[in-house]
Amino acid sequence: MTHCRRKTAAGPRLLAVVAIMAPGLAQAAPQTFNTALPVAEGNLVFREQFLYRKADDDPSPARRDLRVIGAITVLGYGLTRDLALFGALPYLDKELDLDGPGGQRLERSSRGLGDARLFARYTAFKDDAPGRTFRVAPFLGVETPTGDDDERDRFGRLPQPLQSGSGSWDPLGGVALTYQTLAYQLDAQFAYQANTEANGFEFGDEARLDGSFQYRLWPRKLGSGVPGFLYGVLEANLIHHEKNEMNGVRDANSGGTQLFLSPGLQYVTRRWIIEGIVQLPAAQDLNGTALEDDFTTRMGFRINF
Amino acid sequence: MTSRIHALLLALVAAVISTVVLAAGPSYQIEVDGLACPFCAYGIEKQLGKIEGVQTIETDIQAGRMIVTMDDGHTLDESRAEQAVDRAGFTLGSFEALDAPATTNDQ
Repeated sequence: MTHCRRKTAAGPRLLAVVAIMAPGLAQAAPQTFNTALPVAEGNLVFREQFLYRKADDDPSPARRDLRVIGAITVLGYGLTRDLALFGALPYLDKELDLDGPGGQRLERSSRGLGDARLFARYTAFKDDAPGRTFRVAPFLGVETPTGDDDERDRFGRLPQPLQSGSGSWDPLGGVALTYQTLAYQLDAQFAYQANTEANGFEFGDEARLDGSFQYRLWPRKLGSGVPGFLYGVLEANLIHHEKNEMNGVRDANSGGTQLFLSPGLQYVTRRWIIEGIVQLPAAQDLNGTALEDDFTTRMGFRINF
Repeated sequence: MTSRIHALLLALVAAVISTVVLAAGPSYQIEVDGLACPFCAYGIEKQLGKIEGVQTIETDIQAGRMIVTMDDGHTLDESRAEQAVDRAGFTLGSFEALDAPATTNDQ
């Protein structure tokens, strides 16, 4: 039985994963995932991304309504020409409203730093030519349990997915591809995160396939010098989650597959970038009574040091 | 008296500016393969700027070209330029000294 929607519980986790997987740090990069473009040796890139997510399409009688406001701070450093190190730390404010057993409306929430993600990316292949480049960069890392995983409210301990942190060390890896010209940029990424158990709970593993197309809208014609570029952006994220496990038992109301399509804008200069995008669910095939996403907006900036 | 001081100051500023301009050394044209967006340009400019004696760097992103002007008394070696571009993660397409007879290695 796999007709699904995403479980409420999986929501924050998915959000964090989507958000933190997103340090498309260099150049006119994607906003929802990684890029293969280089961070120059000795350079630092700082990215701050603010997000708001809403999910309230609940097939269960609980009328769940999930809202998440957050900020993701990302720092990248070019250790060598090909090797870049990244760290990402989310701060998330999650609020879940639902009907209680007596029909009263309940609110459960958490707020705080989430799990930090650390990963290294190595540019394994590059093909440079005048005005264009093609790159392939595998990456490997781990999501560390820096967030609080024992938050409580007046009803008791929060469900694990509503906690700020997972409590587990979760390895991740994948490969990013980038083809960039002066007029447009194409990015693609495959990533896998193997989640491990903590507190008797294990989030389902995540596999994702992402694509991004950025097209230079302005200036239409390039002159001399280095003008700022305004890009129109369209991204797609196909994300599959395995079911969560609680004390070794699979949760039938968790996991599933989602496809997001995301239009956005990005203004790129030498030293900084401002960007914004809206992630809209195009298809959601989630298990059991999982809660479907409505939308996620992201706005942020990047600075090159 | 005040106008005389102003004139003197102007002359002083002009002298300083002309000295700076005259102090510019040789210029080099570098073509960078893979340069395709403004954010990329900064990384390359930063690496080139670390080379001792680099005075200015002008980038033309459409042409994928950078003009590096050195301080008086300094020159730029092609291998050093190539190393800087490489450290930024890009590829040196060509290197040409602009102020000298056709050569690719002005040391």
